[in-house]
Amino acid sequence: MKSRSLKLREAHKSSGAASFCSILWDLRAQHLLTSSSNDLSICIHDPLLPSNSPQILRHHRDGVTALALSPNSTCLASGSIDHSVKLYKFPGGEFQTNVTRFTLPIRVISFNRSGSILAAAGDDEGIKLINTIDGSIARVLKGHKGSVTGLAFDPNGEYLASVDSIGTVIQWELHSGTALHILKGIAPDTGSDLSVLNVLSWSPDGETLAVPGLRNDVVMYDRDTAEKLFSLRGDHVQPICFLSWSPNGKYMATAGLDRQILIWDVDQRQDIDRQKFDDRICCMAWKPNGNALAVIDVMGKYGVWESAVPSSMKSPTEDVPSLQSKNSNGLLLFDEDEQEPSASGSLSDLGEDSHGESEPPSRKRLRKQSTYDEDINDDLLSSLPKVESRKKASHSHKESLNNGNEGLKSTSARLKMQEAFQPGATPVQPGKRRFLCYNMLGSITTIEHDGYSHIEIDFHDTGSGPRVPAMTDYFGFTMASLNEHGSVFANPCKGEKNMSTLMYRPFSTWANNSEWSMRFEQEEVKVVALGSAWVAAMTSLNFLRIFTDGGLQRYVISLDGPVVTASGFKDELAVVTHASHCLPSNDQMLEFRVFNISNGTQPLKGHLPLTPGSCLTWFGFSEEGQLSSYDSKGVLRVFTNQFGGSWLPLFSASKEKAEENYWVAGLNMNKLFCIVCKSPDLFPPVMPKPVLTLLDLSFPLATSDLGAETLENEFILKNMHLLQIQQRIEEMAAAGLDTTSLDDEAFNVETALDRCILRLIASCCNGDKIVRATELVKLLSLEKSVKGAIKLVTALKLPNLAERFNSILEERLLNETSRPATLPLTSSNHDACTTPDVVTSKFLTSIQSSKPSQPVIPLPSPQLSSPLFAKKGKLQEGAKVGNEKVEQRRTAIVENIGKVKSLAEVKSIEDVMNQGEASIGEIKNGAVNQRPSNPFAKSSSNQEKSSLFDAIKKMKKVDETGKR
Amino acid sequence: MAGQSDPHISLFSAQEVEFLGEDEMVEIVPNMRMDPLNLICGDFGPFRPQIATQVPLWLAVALKKRGKCTIRPPEWMSVEKLTQVLEAERNSLREFQPLPFHYVEIARLLSDHARDDIPDVYMVRSLIEDIRNVRFHKVETGLETIHERTHAVKLKNLSAMEANIVRPFVVRALQAFYKHDSPEMIPQPDTTAIRRRQAADRGPKRDRRY
Repeated sequence: MKSRSLKLREAHKSSGAASFCSILWDLRAQHLLTSSSNDLSICIHDPLLPSNSPQILRHHRDGVTALALSPNSTCLASGSIDHSVKLYKFPGGEFQTNVTRFTLPIRVISFNRSGSILAAAGDDEGIKLINTIDGSIARVLKGHKGSVTGLAFDPNGEYLASVDSIGTVIQWELHSGTALHILKGIAPDTGSDLSVLNVLSWSPDGETLAVPGLRNDVVMYDRDTAEKLFSLRGDHVQPICFLSWSPNGKYMATAGLDRQILIWDVDQRQDIDRQKFDDRICCMAWKPNGNALAVIDVMGKYGVWESAVPSSMKSPTEDVPSLQSKNSNGLLLFDEDEQEPSASGSLSDLGEDSHGESEPPSRKRLRKQSTYDEDINDDLLSSLPKVESRKKASHSHKESLNNGNEGLKSTSARLKMQEAFQPGATPVQPGKRRFLCYNMLGSITTIEHDGYSHIEIDFHDTGSGPRVPAMTDYFGFTMASLNEHGSVFANPCKGEKNMSTLMYRPFSTWANNSEWSMRFEQEEVKVVALGSAWVAAMTSLNFLRIFTDGGLQRYVISLDGPVVTASGFKDELAVVTHASHCLPSNDQMLEFRVFNISNGTQPLKGHLPLTPGSCLTWFGFSEEGQLSSYDSKGVLRVFTNQFGGSWLPLFSASKEKAEENYWVAGLNMNKLFCIVCKSPDLFPPVMPKPVLTLLDLSFPLATSDLGAETLENEFILKNMHLLQIQQRIEEMAAAGLDTTSLDDEAFNVETALDRCILRLIASCCNGDKIVRATELVKLLSLEKSVKGAIKLVTALKLPNLAERFNSILEERLLNETSRPATLPLTSSNHDACTTPDVVTSKFLTSIQSSKPSQPVIPLPSPQLSSPLFAKKGKLQEGAKVGNEKVEQRRTAIVENIGKVKSLAEVKSIEDVMNQGEASIGEIKNGAVNQRPSNPFAKSSSNQEKSSLFDAIKKMKKVDETGKR
Repeated sequence: MAGQSDPHISLFSAQEVEFLGEDEMVEIVPNMRMDPLNLICGDFGPFRPQIATQVPLWLAVALKKRGKCTIRPPEWMSVEKLTQVLEAERNSLREFQPLPFHYVEIARLLSDHARDDIPDVYMVRSLIEDIRNVRFHKVETGLETIHERTHAVKLKNLSAMEANIVRPFVVRALQAFYKHDSPEMIPQPDTTAIRRRQAADRGPKRDRRY
């Protein structure tokens, strides 16, 4: 047991006499309210900054005896010795109204769970139930003989329990106003001491009512029968004067007249912690969202006991029962009648809960969260069927997981084709700005205000993007798209007089008034898209309408099915449509097609794959123009021309952190740009301005026995990049454009890929996967890398593998030397088998030149590999070689190659190329004739010449590999 | 305090300490596109709109002045964290809470140049001020315990600015005690000994930075 003391601060002057003080948290624990029956003022403290002076409300003319906050913390009520009950706005604290007056001091007030009823009672006879909307007295409950000091609404909204100063507890039925149970003399008689008030409290699940007992204990009574269930008895040596349930109902804090607070584990009926104080604690309140207990003593000093429940135990806010969350959001609405069916529903729910050992997951969420979550969702589901699409699928999925009832209800609704959506838009949130369009360039946001919408266009790059003035939108646009030239808006049709309208606003134009709009009769725009000098609108009649920049109606095309979404990139428009009704397994059947607007062609068409049970949430192009899609299960797919046009899954949110959702904004070759939203949010708010996060793309690879997933992933990714670059080079070459920069890029990717492969080979060798290593060596693109691989395996003491690698290298050298002579401009990559038809003597000799020793003197392979190392300056076994002459020769060749290699690395290739391009043919002719003599020649001049030739030949080769 | 009353005695001026503090890294969200900057102290960037990147404080402030970025205040500069720190500082009389070595300077620079990027800037400022005062008070009370047997003072988690202020006083006080304690050891106080002591004094503090 801890004996550390809690420091209390003075909130209200006590003037020496004990007074009843109250303390209260607001819903989000941002404020702490205190009052004292000796003080006229109510203080609103900031619990984070206790040293700051509190906000003070002074409206009562006598001490404040009771405080209550409506369940949504928007309304504060106070009762006073001056006989009045006042209402204030919260947290502002503006006085609103005197809601009722009594003839004698008020002792206690309480809101019901929905905030529609305020109960007030005191020394008067009768408990007044006040309708908080109009302030009318709904009912007066009479029956207490003493002054009423404690009131508690049953969380399920059926009963009200009250206790008076002589110890009588009455349980009232709310809708009839009758006293169901009268329990006389079960609570202590507090007599005339007004600083001690009898209290009572329902457990948060409403199953038990806790009342201080006569034997310094707390007695629990059953909800329906009012029978005594059990009691918490322990170390209190004087009667209990206050008690408070923890938000989850697992713990209870009790304060006794013996000046101590005990924390109880209710299920174990055991006290778990205690704290002694200088004065009697007369009020306590659990922090609604944390492990802390606010206390106030009779001298008006308050404090917050942090981690009142030992941290080793379950938090007092864990597993908060989410009863009637629907009603608790209600503002001050009188919904007593509506409450009953739902109340009984939740009753049966509760019954199941308390019997079952494990609680359903929905109970595990905090009450607050689930309330908001469901409310928004409910609202959206009911009132805004159009914009909910992206949220809905995942939500309904969650619901079906969480909650059997809801899941059943929504199964019929779930089997629905996905609604049309605009990529990068967020759903409508009442009173909040939302995105109509968010992309890598900027955003279009809107907010509805007094029947009009207010639209703003912002560019992320404020320096270079055009400045677009904000505009007032009388149409109520719900779709928009943005690119660097302009923005397009569209609204759905709302009845007869409000037709669907499409509007285009260019950002900069030489002509005045070049904004244009189109109206559609009996047709509704579903999706809009923008490209370079065209605007596209997909409509409810499955038309694809294409307009030019200036508003010319260019094409109208019929689509195959109802549109889902669309995206534009330069000349290309990609449209996703429904291929058929969705499958019984709830898989959307989508197909996509890409149109080239300026050429009037359709380059691509096919099915759009989705993760089973998911729907499309984002669709667009990467920065390089690759078609990409993102589904509600968090899988990103990128289209590739490989394998006849396929989608590659390049990212999976399930591999990332579980508590985060990713809202995609765009991607490039290596990274996914997205906004990270903390669960349960699925989309970002407009303010504060969201910041993009970069995530690495990765294939969903299987867990291999190699244990080098990152390398394997890098390997596949690099291969894909190389392929993409090569494709673009081909396209550009076909168009007759300069490809040098792309060549460089390709070369860089190639070297990076080789590095990656080498590391993979190393891990393969370590993992004893020799065959796999051999496969990898064949994939190396640079000769140098192959040599590196040989060196690597030699270092790893795998002579067999080194031998194999050597033969691979020889084969490769053979093919490569053969190629420049015969097919100097071949562009194919691995045409190892293409042997030229005409085998000339030159060809034969050139083979000899590249591997001179093999046919002449067969050497053991480890020794064969050694001269190759000589290139790197590691001539180790040279002395052992028997035939020194051959050795020297080979070294010379290798040195040549080495020289050329280093030349190539310095990248002076291009210079040399330019200088010698015109005469290459001649040199070749001449040089090739000299070629055979080259390796065997001893004369220095010859050597020099041949090395020049070698250099040029090598350059051509490097150039070619670069082009690949 | 000696250092406060006479600024010439402290080894660095406040501006100089601030200058040193400007090398701390902060996160910014640029609103322009720029290639990576290759500077002597390192490469920063690339800068892409709405994508956060790490830069030294001086660069962040320079960009901020030109309206090219927003600065994301460091994690410890939230009202919540600072309140916790302040409470902890008040509760423990002997220890200092771990804060960045240049917390005073960072907070000062950010609240001067990027006040619109810091939520509750006034609150943050006053909290920093409070924390500084509490810590300084602690230093002062701690130094009162120096007596003739003290050979060294160990101050864990002391920040740059605080160390800078107390250093001359502590060093001289220790020297004085040492001198009076064993007058035969130092016949005449020579400056080289002082230097060496100061250097030794600075050594471990620098380690704390990392």
